[in-house]
Amino acid sequence: MESSTEEKVVAVILVGGPTKGTRFRPLSLNIPKPLFPIAGQPMVHHPISACKRIPNLAQVYLVGFYEEREFALYVSAISNELKVPVRYLREDKPHGSAGGLYHFRNLIMEDNPSHIFLLNCDVCCSFPLPEMLEAHRKYGGIGTLLVIKVSPESASQFGELVADPVTNELLHYTEKPETFVSDRINCGVYVFTPEIFTAIRDVSSQRNDTATLRRVSSYEALQPATRIPADFVRLDQDILSPLAGKKQLYTYETMDFWEQIKSPGMSLRCSELYLSQFRLTSPHILASGDGTKSAIVIGDVYIHPSAKVHPTAKIGPNVSISANARVGPGVRLISCIILDDVEIMENAVVTNAIVGWKSSIGRWSRVQAEGVYNSKLGVTILGDSVAVEDEVVVTSSIVLPNKTLNVSVQDEIIL
Amino acid sequence: MYRLSVDCLPHVLSFLHYVNISFNYSRFRSEISSKERRIKMKALILVGGFGTRLRPLTLSFPKPLVDFANKPMILHQIEALKAVGVDEVVLAINYQPEVMLNFLKDFEAKLEIKITCSQETEPMGTAGPLALARDKLVDGSGEPFFVLNSDVISEYPLKEMIEFHKAHGGEASIMVTKVDEPSKYGVVVMDETTGKVEKFVEKPKLFVGNKINAGIYLLNPSVLDKIELRPTSIEKETFPKIAAAQGLYAMVLPGFWMDIGQPRDYITGLRLYLDSLRKKSPAKLTTGAHIVGNVLVDETAKIGEGCLIGPDVAIGPGCVVESGVRLSRCTVMRGARIKKHACISSSIIGWHSTVGQWARIENMTILGEDVHVCDEIYTNGGVVLPHKEIKSNILKPEIVM
Repeated sequence: MESSTEEKVVAVILVGGPTKGTRFRPLSLNIPKPLFPIAGQPMVHHPISACKRIPNLAQVYLVGFYEEREFALYVSAISNELKVPVRYLREDKPHGSAGGLYHFRNLIMEDNPSHIFLLNCDVCCSFPLPEMLEAHRKYGGIGTLLVIKVSPESASQFGELVADPVTNELLHYTEKPETFVSDRINCGVYVFTPEIFTAIRDVSSQRNDTATLRRVSSYEALQPATRIPADFVRLDQDILSPLAGKKQLYTYETMDFWEQIKSPGMSLRCSELYLSQFRLTSPHILASGDGTKSAIVIGDVYIHPSAKVHPTAKIGPNVSISANARVGPGVRLISCIILDDVEIMENAVVTNAIVGWKSSIGRWSRVQAEGVYNSKLGVTILGDSVAVEDEVVVTSSIVLPNKTLNVSVQDEIIL
Repeated sequence: MYRLSVDCLPHVLSFLHYVNISFNYSRFRSEISSKERRIKMKALILVGGFGTRLRPLTLSFPKPLVDFANKPMILHQIEALKAVGVDEVVLAINYQPEVMLNFLKDFEAKLEIKITCSQETEPMGTAGPLALARDKLVDGSGEPFFVLNSDVISEYPLKEMIEFHKAHGGEASIMVTKVDEPSKYGVVVMDETTGKVEKFVEKPKLFVGNKINAGIYLLNPSVLDKIELRPTSIEKETFPKIAAAQGLYAMVLPGFWMDIGQPRDYITGLRLYLDSLRKKSPAKLTTGAHIVGNVLVDETAKIGEGCLIGPDVAIGPGCVVESGVRLSRCTVMRGARIKKHACISSSIIGWHSTVGQWARIENMTILGEDVHVCDEIYTNGGVVLPHKEIKSNILKPEIVM
């Protein structure tokens, strides 16, 4: 039983919606992106189970634009499995990344939490949430951001920030700058105190006021109506940037891995990262074998208990095999994700690819790509129910659901 | 045409009772007393699978519901069937039955025709679906039933086909159409005078004939006895059997024929369809100073000043075409908006999309549902999946996901 001094924590995970994130196609054509499996578990499972490590976690909210029914099954299953209440909340219209949080503030504050975590579902990292909370308590601000150092060249894709090296205060924040500002970037994981709601509300009301006061230049007047509605509040531009340097926001730096899962190719990369993390945290999840009773396993490999893999196959490194998949004799799988009910026949080779649900890979066929995670055709993607016939080679291509390939293809998108 | 006299009323009543359909007696009496007595017939439309060749349009709707000449493809067939007295249409489908059924409820009411679905749980080929739908097609009346292919657009001379079928007295009639390159298809070898079919030859290397199966059949219920309930090909198994028994006759399809299952053929098909409309019901086409050639504009669409529309253009319900727009050889689907000074040719603009000012869209560009092309953009053969914004030029044909 909690005493009155125990502080409860609520976590909010932003999951996006179907018409956003078209970059994740074709995988997102049949399944909401947050439910796509990474290292054997739906993408959103990783931040949710990280939240479980937070002491006194009262509730997890998933906030997004998908229909409720798309998450209904998952939410009840995960609540049961992890023994923590998880609930999906649907945003009726876009409110911005901070506006969404504000929109559901009553529900979030129901448990009277002392702290609120905000995470982006498509972030892949080690989620050091308890450590962040502890640091945040020491800093005493209204929010703490998770930050990481990246290469200067890649920094401009993200929110760049400058932090005080001694106090860790957030001094400066700018989203996707054109010129170099800093090699420290915003990871998309935050912890706030409830005062954040006041800060968001202030932005809204300020916007209402300036809307009436501001005189519009003639150029602006010619633009199509892009006035931002008052309740559309973006976390980066409207909260982080203005509040930087005012001793309200702080940073916590992670030295572990961090990636964003924006494209299908990145899901393969992040699967690799999580599998290697399992090696440290829960090695019993990973598969092993030496070719005698079960297939040879190299490196980090996840095989669902219901999947059947022939002992003469060789699997890994970085392979994830989902439920009811069947891997035949002499098959070689390297760096790939094999989804539910896939059948891979004798002597086939799959490398740097994602094979969709119920697909079949013929004998001696080869599904391959260069393995450049961020490029459009860097990882071969087969949608669901794709049939690759015997001896066919599929190279650096994307194949949409329900197609049959009876000739080899290279560098193609097949609708 | 058969005529029902009042004398056979008791027989008809008991027959109707036997097949257990609900029946409005007073309406029946008024139908009997009307001059045109129509036999109620059934039809099966083979809808089949995923329509992958018509992507990205079929990512938003199942193929039979994709609009062609401003109405869902399947409606063209259902209307033609209704016009010759078909009172029940069975759709043989294996994909998204709920979407189809929902949609068809509206049509059932408006057209006063019964529409049901027969769902394949595994692909049944081209004949298997007939066996699967047997109970719905056979009502004991002995009337032949139609089988149509949902991908096919033609003039549907179904009345002539019924007469042809009764005249030759054989078990099955098929429509054939003349093509220039028969060896790409399955050729129907037939007696040119009687129409009796001798055999089918798949992709013949030497010339054996220039008529191919047009995918429109009229079959006696006895044909169903010859089809097993398993994946079967009607051309490879069923028809050869009937031909060998001298029971299969082919009628050459008058007018146009097109398989509009892929974008290039869809655009050609529209031209053929509008040509035929010009001959049969020219009043349906739009005329005006800003119109060139055959153009079909839905009455709820709005066209601005100074446009030049046509030839071979279809503009769907609720579309807005702003001033100074040039459209040729293209389809603009329901709810789309074409902004000022844009120029579109040989392309398909999907539902609720917008084309920006001064944009130029050409060469088989296909925009899926809710695609927004920004002002001044050029696209050459871009194939764009639903819910995308095009902010930069597409210089050569490419798929945008």
